[in-house]
Amino acid sequence: MSDFLKKLSVRSPWLFRINAGSCNGCDVELATTAFIPRYDVERLGCRYCGSPRHADIVLITGPLTARVKDKVLRVWEEIPNPKITVAVGICAVTCGVFRDGYSIKGPIDRYLPVDVNVPGCPPRPQAIMEAVLIAKKLWMQKLGVEE
Amino acid sequence: MTDAILALLHMCIFPGGLFALAVGFFFKGLDRRMVARLQRRVGPPLHQPYIDIAKLLTKETLIPKTAHRTAFLLAPVIAFAGMAVCAAFIPVPGVFQGLTDMGDLLVIFYLLPIPAIALMLGGSSSGSPFGAVGFSREMLMMLAYEIPLLAVLLAVAMMAGKGMGTGAEFSLAKILTFQSATGQFGFNPVMIPALIAYLIFLPGTMGVIPFDIPEAETEILEGPLLEYGGPLLALYHIGSALKTFVVLGLGVVLFFPGTLTDIWIVNLVWFLLKCLLLMALSLTLVKSATGRFRIDQAFWFYIKIPTVLSLISLALVWWL
Repeated sequence: MSDFLKKLSVRSPWLFRINAGSCNGCDVELATTAFIPRYDVERLGCRYCGSPRHADIVLITGPLTARVKDKVLRVWEEIPNPKITVAVGICAVTCGVFRDGYSIKGPIDRYLPVDVNVPGCPPRPQAIMEAVLIAKKLWMQKLGVEE
Repeated sequence: MTDAILALLHMCIFPGGLFALAVGFFFKGLDRRMVARLQRRVGPPLHQPYIDIAKLLTKETLIPKTAHRTAFLLAPVIAFAGMAVCAAFIPVPGVFQGLTDMGDLLVIFYLLPIPAIALMLGGSSSGSPFGAVGFSREMLMMLAYEIPLLAVLLAVAMMAGKGMGTGAEFSLAKILTFQSATGQFGFNPVMIPALIAYLIFLPGTMGVIPFDIPEAETEILEGPLLEYGGPLLALYHIGSALKTFVVLGLGVVLFFPGTLTDIWIVNLVWFLLKCLLLMALSLTLVKSATGRFRIDQAFWFYIKIPTVLSLISLALVWWL
């Protein structure tokens, strides 16, 4: 029974966005491109949720500036397990051109276990959707069930 | 004793409990699909709400340190239980009478605000400032949309009562027989303002756009629901699905309870189709075409338009 529930559960990934000092380019790709008719991710059962407590897949954008570092880590802690962390955009993956800047504490995988990287500035919507699909597979592995 | 067991069965299986749950979730899936299609998207599969519940059951439950533990844990259970009981009082014309000897329209009026009250209880006991803001907004919304509901119910009761010469008739079974004898209230010009008022009441009580102000996810991070996760959130969603069935079913019973034949399965499908039409008109179309109101705008909207409309109906019934 619980295996059945677990298998069902990956078909309802709720997404949560954290902006860790991003320029908003990746956020625009996430919020609008992913939900326009052409790329609609709601057909995969996805939904953007407002509260970190409801999230399954957390999408982090931005190079993790010194100002937001503690807040991002705290919000990430609030997300219930099992959770999948996706770094969206080259800033979140390697910090890009901001690397080693005086106000930059990133990249994010210094502090958090990042499961999927989506490079690009900003990444293409297809790449973001592929990341969601990979995240679903990883989520299944974390739950310990076979597809 | 057998009466009590029968009533319990009605609350657990049909029309409350399992049946209302299946119908409510099916309607919610259809609603999401229709909104997606209206926006030219593909949309999620029809059984997506069931999958969401399955997902929530596998997640861990976190209880904030600042929360009042008992109230926080009890609130979703109250919301669910209130609606499961309320669904048993909704008659399905031609199929089921409703629990007529245990309650009538007034009981439904008292049971309907229970999910909203539970939401306020949960939000205020969660210890989160967003929950407190959501609590105050929910309170204001409730004050606004309960007045037109009361006036609509009174208008219907007066209409049936005057026809039968008993003053005001609050028994749903008698209202149903009166309507089948003299014509459905939805086609009566006197009752049309009340019908419109009820249609406007629906999105407010279901908390959907443009009246999802207490649970605005972009402003106050879903307000009272912010700290809930996992099975507790699933209970809230189950309560909301039951409430979908209750308010739509009540609308059909009050205004369009006509039946087609004597075959119960045909009547059941006909009843559900009418519920669906009501949902498409008052929830889905409005949801996909509007943005969110501010709390003061929504409050004055409810005081000005549906309240006045329902009072017009009430006055017309009173004097004509």
